[in-house]
Amino acid sequence: MAFFEQHIHDAPKTFLSKYVISFDHKVIAKQFLWYGIIFLGIGGMMALMIRWTLAFPGEPFPVIGHFLFPNTNGVVPPDTYAMLFTLHGTIMIFYAITPILIGAFGNFCIPLMIGARDMVFPTLNMLSFWLAFLSAVLLLASLFTPLGGAAGGWVSYPTLSTTIGSPGVGQTLWCLAIFVLGVSSTMGAVNYIATIITLRAPGMGYFDMPLTVWGLWLTAILNALFLPVLGAGVMLLIFDRVFGTTFFLAGAAATSGSGDPVLFQHVFWIFGHPEVYILILPAWGIVSDLLSFFARKPAFGARSTALSMTSITILSTVVYGHHMYTTQMSPLLTQSFMMLTMTISIPSAVFFANWLGTIWKGAIRFSTPMLFSLGVVFVFGLGGLTGLYLATVSTDLYLHDTYFVVGHFHYTMAASVLLGGFAGTYFWFPKMFGRMMNETLGKIHFWISMLGLNGIFMGMMIVGYAGMHRRIYNPFVYEYLQKLIPINMFITISAITMGFGQLFFVYNFVNSLWNGPKASQNPWEVGTLEWTIPSPAPHYNFDIIPVVKCGPHEIGNPNLKGRDFQYQTEELA
Amino acid sequence: MVVVMAKQNILSEKEQGEEIISSVGMIVTLISFAMLFATLMMGFAMFRFSAPVWPPAGMTKPSLIIPSLSTLLIFLSSLCYFWYEKNIANKKGLDLTIFLGLGFMVVQAVFWHTLSSQGIYVSSGIFPSIIYAFTWIHAAHIVVALSLLLWLRFSGATVKVKQAQLRVASVGKFWHFLGIVWFIMFLTIFVL
Ligand code: HEM
Ligand SMILES: [Cu+2]
Repeated sequence: MAFFEQHIHDAPKTFLSKYVISFDHKVIAKQFLWYGIIFLGIGGMMALMIRWTLAFPGEPFPVIGHFLFPNTNGVVPPDTYAMLFTLHGTIMIFYAITPILIGAFGNFCIPLMIGARDMVFPTLNMLSFWLAFLSAVLLLASLFTPLGGAAGGWVSYPTLSTTIGSPGVGQTLWCLAIFVLGVSSTMGAVNYIATIITLRAPGMGYFDMPLTVWGLWLTAILNALFLPVLGAGVMLLIFDRVFGTTFFLAGAAATSGSGDPVLFQHVFWIFGHPEVYILILPAWGIVSDLLSFFARKPAFGARSTALSMTSITILSTVVYGHHMYTTQMSPLLTQSFMMLTMTISIPSAVFFANWLGTIWKGAIRFSTPMLFSLGVVFVFGLGGLTGLYLATVSTDLYLHDTYFVVGHFHYTMAASVLLGGFAGTYFWFPKMFGRMMNETLGKIHFWISMLGLNGIFMGMMIVGYAGMHRRIYNPFVYEYLQKLIPINMFITISAITMGFGQLFFVYNFVNSLWNGPKASQNPWEVGTLEWTIPSPAPHYNFDIIPVVKCGPHEIGNPNLKGRDFQYQTEELA
Repeated sequence: MVVVMAKQNILSEKEQGEEIISSVGMIVTLISFAMLFATLMMGFAMFRFSAPVWPPAGMTKPSLIIPSLSTLLIFLSSLCYFWYEKNIANKKGLDLTIFLGLGFMVVQAVFWHTLSSQGIYVSSGIFPSIIYAFTWIHAAHIVVALSLLLWLRFSGATVKVKQAQLRVASVGKFWHFLGIVWFIMFLTIFVL
């Protein structure tokens, strides 16, 4: 292993070098955290507008409706509706979850948990954040162009996204924003991969890394491999829009010499399916660790959890066709993709069973991070299982493009990944800011979110199964869907409840920054390396680089005296 | 004496670390770039193999003369860079690489010009789209690589020998990579 010790740099002194152009991975992590939380708010507002339209079509959006849509007396107009669901998806996936799970926790946890003083390429890290910032500016700017922002769905399929479908500049800016963000994330990924390979503390083999780091590492590998694929796709789309190339224009190449819209779907999903695992892997890692930490037991089968996450990572690169069953693929292909997709269930079942094994007979401490982790176990179970109905060709032909799909991916992303992100936030907040978050507010936040999101996403699956399509402005113009109005109202009310619950989090987060009780060095009594240093972590992290002697989950060993856990720097008891 | 030895050991360990870090970083970066070009090639392959006749819609392939010249230039530039890497104190190899790289760009510009003077524009269908877009994307990378080469050329004096070697090796990997990408594009788009 190529370990070498990084220098201790002087602490930055000016405001600019400390908080703005910072090279310190912990500050960059916080920048990403704020960035993500702000976009979570924006995306959440958009979701509420979508939900309002579906439950109360034709009625003005309360309070801010008249201000936002003066021409229609506060009612969300149809073209804006398309823009809203497009930007909601884009923002939540690329600008909220990615920065929080990968930008914030990746940056914060990787060096601290492997015993390094910083990332290997701090400059690249700084650039990565500011490119992400630039990308956000581009995306928000698209809202103020004459024809408004992108409206072709977050997947931006041609021909909806070529100049035929969206003539405005908004879609071009969207493509540019995604391209820049892709560059930013790839830079981050190169940094994470190189850091984990080269800067692990002496004695730390790959299986001594906490599972959080495993998850982040696999995510980084997928990012480095597949973001360039999306980059190539949106670049060609930009060429089509700006320079008049014909890659994605309809018409057979052979006769008219023009392009093929379905090519974009291939490119998008070759990236897109790994992307969903890019999002979930860090959450899996965090949850696998937290379950062990709070059940006061070693993680059950930690090695096999790591290996099954690895095999999922590998398999996730060859299943993308399950998003395209309805594009007239040959049955041979659809069935191969179906089989490959089903194969993912095997490693998924392995680590899911490991989670249950970890909490089995544990002395569980129901702190807020643990509640959120248990929440992930529950909602991910549901989300993963519904995936099987979509992976099966015969059922997917019916379910494709209905709200069932929306329910499925919200269970896996908006529920599992988001709850995993919250678990991580509550857990590492003391190390990030040196203060504790309020437990009671945290628990209220958990229960309202859990209630709300199950109401929303379970409802979505029911209406989807009943045949309600996604991305329709007013589904109730179809007679057979009119019976679904009450349940759509129920979904919207659940959504408002969930949105309301997030206020507890925002208040708790902001208030604890200044008024939270001071955190001790190791408030959760766990043994990974970040808890061997003071809270908040000093700018150099470790004044002496630790030497690792045991794994990350040595908890509840009967040989231990005085406390029930041991640090990774201690000889195995 | 012992102290001095120990110090030397630490230094070389640090240097070794830096070497590994820069090569790991560069290799991962190049894999990302490779995926970008692989995606383009996949798109090309889809069009190529789904069309009954290629080039489609009665088009003809552009003459091989100019692309072959580009290939020759970029091949020679990589050779010169290998020569430079052997002894980085001697800047001649680097100068030649930069010169040939600039030559490559000039030839590409001539190529685009001849295409458009023959009435083949970006918007004339899928085959011209592929030719223009792919060579543009490649050329954009060449521009970046050329500026890195220029940076090597004019920043050398201030850094330590070891660091300079690492930079030369990293930029070199990128330059050779672009040569290989060009060669693949030349073979698949122009020759076959
Ligand atoms: C565990 C096994 C999983 C299986 C078998 C599975 C299967 C599928 C299938 C077949 C579709 C396509 C449905 C259609 O469009 O008709 C789909 C859509 C989707 N899945 Fe999954 N999935 C799984 C897990 C996940 C996870 C973990 C995530 C994210 C964290 C995820 C996110 C998504 C998203 C975002 C879409 C929809 C994209 C769109 O059309 O807008 N899935 N899934
Ligand atoms: Cu998928």
